[in-house]
Amino acid sequence: MKRRSLVLILLLAVILLANGSLWAAAQAEVKPTGPVKIVYWRSLTGVAGESQDEVVKRFNESRSDIIVESQFQGAYAEILQKLQAALAAGDVPDLVLLDSPHLQIFAKDGVLVNLDDFVKKEKAGFLNDYIPGLLADGYYDDSLFALPVLRSTPLLYVNGDMLAAAGLPRRAPKTWDEFREFSKQLTKYNAAGEAEQLGAGFTTTVTSGHWYFQGAVYAYGGLVSDEDFNIYLSSPEALAVATLWQDMVFKDKTAIPSNSHDDFLNKKVGMVFGSTGSMGNLLSRADFEVIPAFMPGQKQNLVPVGGSVLAMPSTDKNRQWAAWEFMKYMTGTDAQAYLAEMTGYMPNSTSARNHPDLAAYYNANPVRKVALDQLAYVRPQASVISLPKGTEILRQMLEKLLIANMDPKQVMAETTADLQKEYNENFK
Amino acid sequence: MRRAAIKHRPLKWYAGRTFIHAILMLATIIIGLPFLWMLTTAIKSPAEVAMFPPIWWPETVRWDNFVKAWNTAPFGRFYINSIVTSVSGVFLEVAIAALSAYAFARIRFKYRDFFFLVMLAAMMIPGQIALIPNYVILAKLKWINTYQGIVIPHVSSVFGAFLLRQYFLSVPSSLYDAAEIDGLGHLKTMFYVALPLARPVLGTLVLYLFISKWNSYLWPLIVTTKQHMRTLPVGLAMVRSAEYSIGPEHLMAASIFVLVPVLVVYFIAQKQLIEGIAAGAVKG
Amino acid sequence: MSKRQLKTALRQEGVVPIRMTRRAKRDMFAFLGFTFPNFFLLGVFVFWPILYSLYLSFFKWNMIAPKKTFIGLDNFQTMFNDPVFWLVTKNTLILAFFTVVVKMAIALGLALALNKNVKGRSVYRAIIFSPTFTTSVAVAMVWGWIFNPNFGLLRVFMRPFGIPPLDWLESVTHSLPAVIIVLIWSGIGYDMVLFLAGLKNISLEIYDAALVDGVSPWQNFWYITFPLLSPTTFFLTITGFIGALKAFDIVAIMTDGGPLNTSNVIVHFLYQNAFQWFKTGYASALALILFVIIMAITLVQNRLSRRWVHY
Repeated sequence: MKRRSLVLILLLAVILLANGSLWAAAQAEVKPTGPVKIVYWRSLTGVAGESQDEVVKRFNESRSDIIVESQFQGAYAEILQKLQAALAAGDVPDLVLLDSPHLQIFAKDGVLVNLDDFVKKEKAGFLNDYIPGLLADGYYDDSLFALPVLRSTPLLYVNGDMLAAAGLPRRAPKTWDEFREFSKQLTKYNAAGEAEQLGAGFTTTVTSGHWYFQGAVYAYGGLVSDEDFNIYLSSPEALAVATLWQDMVFKDKTAIPSNSHDDFLNKKVGMVFGSTGSMGNLLSRADFEVIPAFMPGQKQNLVPVGGSVLAMPSTDKNRQWAAWEFMKYMTGTDAQAYLAEMTGYMPNSTSARNHPDLAAYYNANPVRKVALDQLAYVRPQASVISLPKGTEILRQMLEKLLIANMDPKQVMAETTADLQKEYNENFK
Repeated sequence: MRRAAIKHRPLKWYAGRTFIHAILMLATIIIGLPFLWMLTTAIKSPAEVAMFPPIWWPETVRWDNFVKAWNTAPFGRFYINSIVTSVSGVFLEVAIAALSAYAFARIRFKYRDFFFLVMLAAMMIPGQIALIPNYVILAKLKWINTYQGIVIPHVSSVFGAFLLRQYFLSVPSSLYDAAEIDGLGHLKTMFYVALPLARPVLGTLVLYLFISKWNSYLWPLIVTTKQHMRTLPVGLAMVRSAEYSIGPEHLMAASIFVLVPVLVVYFIAQKQLIEGIAAGAVKG
Repeated sequence: MSKRQLKTALRQEGVVPIRMTRRAKRDMFAFLGFTFPNFFLLGVFVFWPILYSLYLSFFKWNMIAPKKTFIGLDNFQTMFNDPVFWLVTKNTLILAFFTVVVKMAIALGLALALNKNVKGRSVYRAIIFSPTFTTSVAVAMVWGWIFNPNFGLLRVFMRPFGIPPLDWLESVTHSLPAVIIVLIWSGIGYDMVLFLAGLKNISLEIYDAALVDGVSPWQNFWYITFPLLSPTTFFLTITGFIGALKAFDIVAIMTDGGPLNTSNVIVHFLYQNAFQWFKTGYASALALILFVIIMAITLVQNRLSRRWVHY
C-alpha cells in the first residue's frame, strides 16, 4: 500500500506542477459577495501602528459595505520598494501610506489615482478643513493625489533625569551650541576609558537620518536642496552642521551614531532625535522622564515636515470608491483626533485640532503639545529625498561623516555629485 | 596493531585524550553558545536584557515574551505559508529529480549524455543571476504573492537528480532485467524497483530539501509583497524592522519560533542527515 | 568507401539498424517524458535568465515603466567606473577567501580530533554540525545581538583582554570581519563532516605501515593524511568558495552592507540595485559579472586541481 500512496503523491505533484490553479484555490482569499474588500498598506510600528489598526477596526465596524484589511509593510523606505515591486507585478494595494516625498515618484509614473474627481463629488469646501501647509504635499502637477494623514516633525528627546544628575536644568538645549555643551556635561567615561554615558546619539538610518540632518541645516538658515534640485550641501550652513556633528563624535567624543532608540531607553545616551510619531512609544517605554522638545535652533527654528500621506494606487473602480470612503474616514476629524492623541502625530485639520477630546488631552499632558507648537516652524523636505537612491546617498553622507571620519568638505562635495548624478539618471 | 596498543595506555595517551576533548568541548561551546544566548535573552525582562555584564538566567522566566513576540506579526499565517511552500516544494522537487534520475540511469537514448551535460551545466549557474528575469516572468504570470510563485522556480533539480541517478545505477541490473521480463514499463520499474531500493537516500534528500526550503530567504523576500504570503524567515526579518517597539528579548523569542521546526527535524534525524550528506557529497 | 556505402554494408551485416526499433522509439519518448519537467523548469528559470539578463544589461529600465531605453554598454561602463562596484567585488573575494580558508582549517582540526574515536563523538558532531541547518535569518538575528556593543555577549569575552566595546556592525573596519565570523561559525560543521568522511576512506594500513617506519604524527599528517584528503579539500574549496560568493542573508540582515558598503557583497549589491533602487539594467549587468566570476573560478580551480589533488 505504501507504494501506491507514493505513486499517488508523485502523480499529485505532477498535476500540481501542471496546474497552478489548484493552489490558487487553496490560497485565494474568500471573495466576499457583499462588502467591497480593500487592502491598505501601512507603515510604522508600535503605538503608531496599533492605532492605525484600531482606526481600521472602527471603520470596519461602522460600515457593512466595505472591509479594509490593514497590512504592515515595513518602514517607509521598505514601503517604497514594496510598492515599486507590486507595480512591476501588476498587483497593487488599494491604499498606501507613503512618506510624503515619495508621492512624487509614483505620481510622476501615473500609477496613483487622481483624487480631483472624488473631491468634486464632495460638498463644496471639502478640502478647506485640512491645514493648507500639510495638504500641499498631496499635490503633483496641480492635481491632488494624496491626503495628509500622520504628519510629523523631527523632535529632540532628552532624558530629564540624566540632565538633572549632571547638574543641568530639566529642559532641552535651545541651540546647537547649547546642544554641544549639554552633550559634554552628560558624557561620562569610566577608569578603563569606556564610555558609560554619552551626550547624544545621531541617527544614520536610511529612513530618517537625512531628516534630522535637514532639520539642523534649516536651523542654521540653509537648505539641502530646492524644488529645482539645486543642491546646497557645500554651503557654509550645511558644512557647519556636518562639522559640528563630526566634531561631537570624534573630537569631543560626546556623541555616537545610534540607530535605535534602545540606546536612549537604556540610558546610554541622554539625547536623541525622533519623530513626533515616536513620542507615544518613548513615553510609554522609558522608566525615566522623557522631555520631548523642539529640534535645537541656531539662526532660526525651522524643521522639515515629514510623515505620511494616504494615496490610492487602486486599479478597480469599485474598490476606488471604497478606498476613497476610507480615506475620508482616516483623514477625518474623529480618526485624526484619536491618532494625534495616541501617537503624538499632528492633527491634519482645523476641526481635529479643535476636537474636544484632543484639547482636553493636551491640557492634561502639556508635554505632548510640543508637536503642535512646532507646526508653526515647518517647511517641506528637500527635493532630493524623492530620488530612488536619495535617502541612501544621504545615509552614506552621514556614515562618511560620523563613522569614517572623512573631511566634511570632501564628503559634501561627493554627496552633491552623487545626488546630481542620480537626478540626471532618473528625472531628466 | 592499533588494537594491541589500546591495552597499555601510557600517560601520554591520557594527555592526548584530554587535549582532544578540551578542543572538542571548546568548539561545542562556541557553536552552542549563540543558541543558549538566544534562549536566555528570550525569557528575560527588558531590564535584564540591558545589563552588563549580562546574567545567564533571568530571575523570573518571562514566557510571556513569546506571546508578545507571536502577536507582533501574524506568525500563525507565516507558519502555514512556510509549511505549504516547503512541503509542496519538496514533493515536486523529489518527483522531478526521481523522474530525471531514472531516465538518466535506465532509459537508453541517443543524446542522453548530451542532456546529462546540459543538466550538470545548470549546476554551475548561480541562482542569483536569475533573480530579475524570474521576477519578471512571475510578474507576467501574475504569480507574485502566490505559493506557486515561491515554489515553482526552485523545484528543478540537478543535485537531487544526480544523487538519485548514482543510486539507481548501483542497483544490480539483474533486478531491472527481471522487471523487464515481467513486462513492467519504465514508470512501474521506477516505482517498484528503483525507488524502494533508494529509500535511504530518498529520505535524506527529502529532509535536506525540506530544511533548505524552510530556511530560504532571498527568493520569498522578493516575491512576497503582502504580509499574509510571507514565509517565516521573511516575516521574522520584517519584525526586526520594527526596531522602535520591539526589544531584543522579543526578537530572540520570534527567532526561536522560526528555528524550532528545523531544530526538531534536525535532532531527530541528525544521524541520517549527517551521514547522508557526507556520503552524497563524497560520491557526488 | 563512402559513408553511405559503409552504412549499407554494416546494415547488411546486421550491425547498425538504421531505423529505430519500436523499443528505441518508446524509450526515446519515455526519456523525453521523464526529463521534460526538469528540463522545462531548468530552461525557463535557469537557462533563459542568462539570456534575458544579457538582454536587460543593455537597457535602462526601472521595472515599472512600460518602455526600456537601449543604452548599449553604458551599464558596464558605469559599473567599471563605479568605485562601489570595485569595493563590493573586493569585499566579496576577501569574504570568500577568509571564510573558506579559516573554516576549512578549523574543520579539519576538529575532524582529526573526532576521528580518534573519542567518547561522545556523535554528540560533538551533532552540535557542531547544527548551524548548517539553522535558518540563516535567525542566525543573523542572534549574532546581531551578540555583536551589540553595550550588552552583547562578545563584549563579555573581549573585556578581560582590555578590548574596548566596539560596535562591530557599525564599524568600517569590523563589519566585514563580523560577517565572516558568522559565516565561519555556520559552515564549520559541514566541512568537518565531509573531512570526517574523507578520513574514513583512508585505509588504516597506510598508517600502520608508517608506524613501522617510525614516522612522527606531524609527518603522518603532512605526508599521508593531507594528500589523501585532497579530493575532499578540493571539493570543499570549490563549493565553499562559490557558496561564499553568493552570500546574502547574513549581510542583508546583520549589516545591510554597511557602513559605507564596507560589508557589502555582490549579491546584496545586486539585490539593492534591482529591488531597492530599481536599476534593473545595471543589476543585470552585475548578475552577468557574478556569473563570469563563478565560471572563471570553477575553471581555474579545475585546472589547479590537476596539480595537487591525489585521487
